[in-house]
Amino acid sequence: VRGPPPRHPDDQREELPAVEGIIADAAEMKAGDRVVYPNQGVCAVIGVEEKDIAGQKLQLVRMQREEDGATVMVPMNKVPSVGLRRVASGEQMEGVFHYLAAQFDDPELDWKVRHRDNADRLIAGGVLGVAEVVKGLHSLSRLRPLPTKEREQYDNARHLLVHEVAVSLGVPPGLAEDYVDFALMPPAGVKFDLKPPPKPVLLPSRPKKRRPVAEEGEGDDLGLGDLGIDLGEIDAALAGATGVAGVPGVEGVEALPVEGIEGDSEGEADAEKPEDEGAEAADGEAEGDAEEDLPPPPPPRKEKPAHAEKAEKAPRKAPAEKPAREAKKKPEKPEKPVRKPAAATAKKPAPAKKAAPAAKKAAAKPAAKRGGKKK
Amino acid sequence: VIRIVTLDPIDAGDMAFLTATLYRTFGLGTEFAGEKSAPREAETKDGRLDAVRLLKEADPVRTFADDKVLYLTASPLALKPGPLGEPPCWGFADYGKERAVVSTSRFPARGVTETSIENWRRRLAREASHAIGHLWDLHHCYDAKCAMHPSWSQSLPANPEMDLCSFCREKSERKIRLAKT
Repeated sequence: VRGPPPRHPDDQREELPAVEGIIADAAEMKAGDRVVYPNQGVCAVIGVEEKDIAGQKLQLVRMQREEDGATVMVPMNKVPSVGLRRVASGEQMEGVFHYLAAQFDDPELDWKVRHRDNADRLIAGGVLGVAEVVKGLHSLSRLRPLPTKEREQYDNARHLLVHEVAVSLGVPPGLAEDYVDFALMPPAGVKFDLKPPPKPVLLPSRPKKRRPVAEEGEGDDLGLGDLGIDLGEIDAALAGATGVAGVPGVEGVEALPVEGIEGDSEGEADAEKPEDEGAEAADGEAEGDAEEDLPPPPPPRKEKPAHAEKAEKAPRKAPAEKPAREAKKKPEKPEKPVRKPAAATAKKPAPAKKAAPAAKKAAAKPAAKRGGKKK
Repeated sequence: VIRIVTLDPIDAGDMAFLTATLYRTFGLGTEFAGEKSAPREAETKDGRLDAVRLLKEADPVRTFADDKVLYLTASPLALKPGPLGEPPCWGFADYGKERAVVSTSRFPARGVTETSIENWRRRLAREASHAIGHLWDLHHCYDAKCAMHPSWSQSLPANPEMDLCSFCREKSERKIRLAKT
């Protein structure tokens, strides 16, 4: 059976084993058949109609929801993909009851995963998928009250299950609900002779942690091409500059002494200035050799490669780089405003990184800064 | 309107307590609609009454749209066994429809003391609220303090609450607001 539609168009659909009773072709449906529309419930097939919609003649299967008589129309070609299935057979239903009555002490505690999986189960899991949602949320409700959204999901799943059980066993829904709860919450002293429950429904795997993947992509391509900046030129400049004293290299060198100074709380303020001046000087000196290749106002060229290299170095030198950058920020602002964007990007992780050494050494200054920000 | 029909005699005080409670719970007028006899067709071999059959065969009561009829009986009720056996039956309701029945046969003895009578009445009110809740499309609730919690549950206290939880109350109010009349 096809799983639910992919969340992202570039993801390939996963082919999973078909849920029992799935209707793969609209031709299988005849007037009077009872089918289950995922998330809607049991419907009776009325027939096939042709309708003119937006200038197109469409063949539509007309169904009526048994619960309230609402009409559902599905294009013939969409029948295989919407997950229509036949009402569960007696054998399937027996498996469902044995599943409901089985021990279940391991509800999914991550609400995001749970909610997503439950939504998938309700759509593509068949009657067992619906029972899994009911059982899972019921066992979770024993640990703590369900949040509103999940309470509604639980109620909807229970509603779908009760109606399908009622239709499948040919009993009124009230009695079907009693059967379901007799299995879920057996009275004191009642023990069932249970068979092994059926295998759980396979869910399509979801792409996880897309953000880091996107960041990696960003690291490779900073979008400079879009800004009209020639990447090849920058690479060439870097090849010449980094070996000698490119900006990133200078930053890396600066980082070590600055960290040492920062630890010394008294000398920090004094130490910053010379260090900054030194950094400026170092910049000037270091660029001396590379200046021939680099144009005099090369802010984007300087900063963006630095950023790119930062991304590579980040895991290794993250704590060391940050103070150096911070030290640079103050004098650079008035002199080189073009650096601001790069400094701004570098600033983002700074508070988190700074917190650790500050907390360790209990420096007076960072504490004062934090207090000031709060105010 | 909720119309209560008794299939066995019931104390007037109990009836007054029940009507008042149902009125408070659902915000609907509740009245005693008289006494009828249980249909013979509903009797089973073991002397119980088949709950499903009883609701089909019970003498009709004059009703209007959205009226609900609650039958009260002292006889034990029976249900058709399911895949895992027969669930214990305290009452039965045609889900989302018009009729429900509650049996007092499983209640603790009514007794003669004020406390025991009060407990009996509260239990009757709870089961009646539960059955009427089903008529307003409410499902069983996992909250043991809610009247919609299954009556046979192990987590149900000896003297359970007769009120609905906030979720069930809101749902029933929504359903009642959207009713035909």
